[in-house]
Amino acid sequence: MPGTIAPPDIELIIKDSRGGGGGGERPPDGGDDGNDGDFDRQRRKRPAPPRRFSTAIAIAMVSILMFFMALASAFLVLHHSSHVWVAVHLPRILWVNTAVLIGSSFVLERARGRLSLGDDLNFRKLWLVSSVMGFLFVAGQLVAWRQLAVQGVYIASNQASSFFYIFSGAHGVHLLGGVAALLFVLLHNFEKSQISVSLAAEIASYYWHFMDGLWMFLFALLYLGK
Amino acid sequence: MVTYDGDAHQPPTPRAGFVSRYLGSTDHKTIGLQYLCLALFSVFLGMAMSMVMRIHLVWPGAHTPFLSALGDTPERYATLPLLHGSLMVFFVLTAAPQLGFGNYLLPLQIGAREMAFPVLNLCSFWASVASLFGTAAAFLAAPQNGITIWIFSVSIFLAAALCSAINFSVTAIDLRAKGMTLPRLPLTVWAWLVNAILGTLIFSILLASCAGLLSDRLFSTHFFSAAHFLASQPANVAADPLPALWQRLFWFFAQAEVYVAMLPCFGIVSHLIATFSRKPVWKERLVVLALCAVGLVGFCVWGQHMFSSGLNPFSPLVFSVLAASLGVPATILLVSWFVTLWNAPIRFNTSLLFALGFVSLFLSGGLSGVFLAGQHFASTSGSENFIVGHFHLVMGVAATFAILSALFFWFPKLFGRRLNESLGKTHFWLTFAGVYCVFMPMHWLGLVSQSVKNAGADPSSIAAWIVPASSFITAGIFITIFAQGIFLFNFLWTLLRGERIQEDNPWRATTLEWSVGSPPPADNFGEEEPAAHRGAYEFGVPGAAEDFIPQHIAPDRVAKAN
Repeated sequence: MPGTIAPPDIELIIKDSRGGGGGGERPPDGGDDGNDGDFDRQRRKRPAPPRRFSTAIAIAMVSILMFFMALASAFLVLHHSSHVWVAVHLPRILWVNTAVLIGSSFVLERARGRLSLGDDLNFRKLWLVSSVMGFLFVAGQLVAWRQLAVQGVYIASNQASSFFYIFSGAHGVHLLGGVAALLFVLLHNFEKSQISVSLAAEIASYYWHFMDGLWMFLFALLYLGK
Repeated sequence: MVTYDGDAHQPPTPRAGFVSRYLGSTDHKTIGLQYLCLALFSVFLGMAMSMVMRIHLVWPGAHTPFLSALGDTPERYATLPLLHGSLMVFFVLTAAPQLGFGNYLLPLQIGAREMAFPVLNLCSFWASVASLFGTAAAFLAAPQNGITIWIFSVSIFLAAALCSAINFSVTAIDLRAKGMTLPRLPLTVWAWLVNAILGTLIFSILLASCAGLLSDRLFSTHFFSAAHFLASQPANVAADPLPALWQRLFWFFAQAEVYVAMLPCFGIVSHLIATFSRKPVWKERLVVLALCAVGLVGFCVWGQHMFSSGLNPFSPLVFSVLAASLGVPATILLVSWFVTLWNAPIRFNTSLLFALGFVSLFLSGGLSGVFLAGQHFASTSGSENFIVGHFHLVMGVAATFAILSALFFWFPKLFGRRLNESLGKTHFWLTFAGVYCVFMPMHWLGLVSQSVKNAGADPSSIAAWIVPASSFITAGIFITIFAQGIFLFNFLWTLLRGERIQEDNPWRATTLEWSVGSPPPADNFGEEEPAAHRGAYEFGVPGAAEDFIPQHIAPDRVAKAN
């Protein structure tokens, strides 16, 4: 019965349908109002924007940085005020670990490059390689702990060794979070998800590179602090 | 046949069980209310502890029922101030204005339907509850284990507060409704945002320090051990002051924590004063800048507490200047409040009275802070009473007044009922008089006992003054706590039997939370997509029919005066 359809109804139906007809008329976010007009008659409920994940990871990184800066400043203060600072002989494997971690960042970027070209298979392969390298790094850190323990250097042996274990332990925990994020991107089905796989990969890569840079800073601090 | 597409014709969702409706709800309004309940419980527990402490000070031999059963040792007494402080600072001053009211109102005021990360929000809340249990358990455990439990509980609270701070920042940055530009944000939202950013910076510092402390206690490391430090020094410098590493890290957090407690209160009070004055906030942009400045300078003044512990001789100067420069944003806020109130058609209700009480306490507490910002005074006033009086007035009590003013203001929004005004005013005046009777004599006691040390006056003549003053303070505590009983009665009675509000916007306020029902529907804005069309404080606009224009009213729908 076409005669029963009133024009305003049609307008509402069109606006309700996502992606169809004139559904995407809404001006971009954050813009000042020019023509607020009939906007509040629109009945579509807006999902929370995916950029919230990028913002959150940026703020979280600042927060994590403050955590490690507090420990680093404690390291510097104690190092300079102590008369008998017993340096830790850093195991050689740490250099290998560092190289693996830096390498994983490069592989991750290549994977993202593949993804942007639409090459999903190679993206997944490279991404998996990067995740495995992350695991290798953590395993290598545990080997370093083991080597120190064999030398008789434990967490409570002296202040320098306490800092080594605290730094590498706290960094390792944060890095395992990064590995979990990488595996999430690899295994999660993004078909019905609120965010796209490329955005998820981008956010995970920010965190991963941050962990990479943070380790290089901590390693340099421990090495130069001898 | 064409039908409307939408939720209107769907059957109502079945009533969820108790767990999913309250304990496991990710709704920001439920979580906000739960934080407020947590704060209410903690504030009464903390007050009970302060009463026990005062009784011990005035009548040292008195038998206290609960404490005596626990073994009335000095260690047990020493844990009382620790527990009183951690309950009040973490679970009341940090939780109520930011996590309680912020969780409830931030999404509503910016036109969002949820927080950015609702599940994270829920986890943060339950971590805070676990932390509260841990803190209380620390009191009951033996002192050595108790301290470890306490540090662990504080760490959990800090991690939860960090997650909340990230959640708040992202919500305020990314989830604003259409048209809710930064200049249109209510000052409350600005304060919550600045506070959340400050929180992400400082909570992680204390978390790192707690990690070091826990490692010292559990793994026998030596991050903060003074004995180990002295042993590692050459013999001739052992007399020098300690590097006081823990104090530095702790005050980096704790001085900024004062502003974490105060910033949301500044926002709330500015918001309330404008609404009750029926005038726009005076120099709103300047007030926003002042809020940001409080956050920025608050982050930099940690050394202010270190004057007596041997810093580099130049650093006290820097920190003195920084601490004194906090006076600038504080003055801007004060001037803005006074100018907004000037010549305004004010009707004194309880909410406004508490807001004005906040201004009064902030001013008197802040003035004694000016003395403490000077290096010489702070390093010589070894007597604790002056400092105790100062920070209780400016941080504890003032913030509590702001929390109460917010509660009286938003109670109709939260529960659809209004707190009783006569009981509220009695509560206000008794509390106001009570806290001044408690904390002003403490300033005086601090100065008097300092003069004994400095001038070598006869201690017995001074002691004749000190004992009655202490008894006076304890009497003041009793009055104040009695007044809180009135409040508790008012709160519970209103919740069950109180007068229901006739209209959704009883205060004729402008911000978005008043554009919906009271209490708001589950998805906050129902069918309508929220939008802001104007600034947050459009009161007394010329040519409008009413003396306020809410933010959600489109320009073409403003009722004109004929």
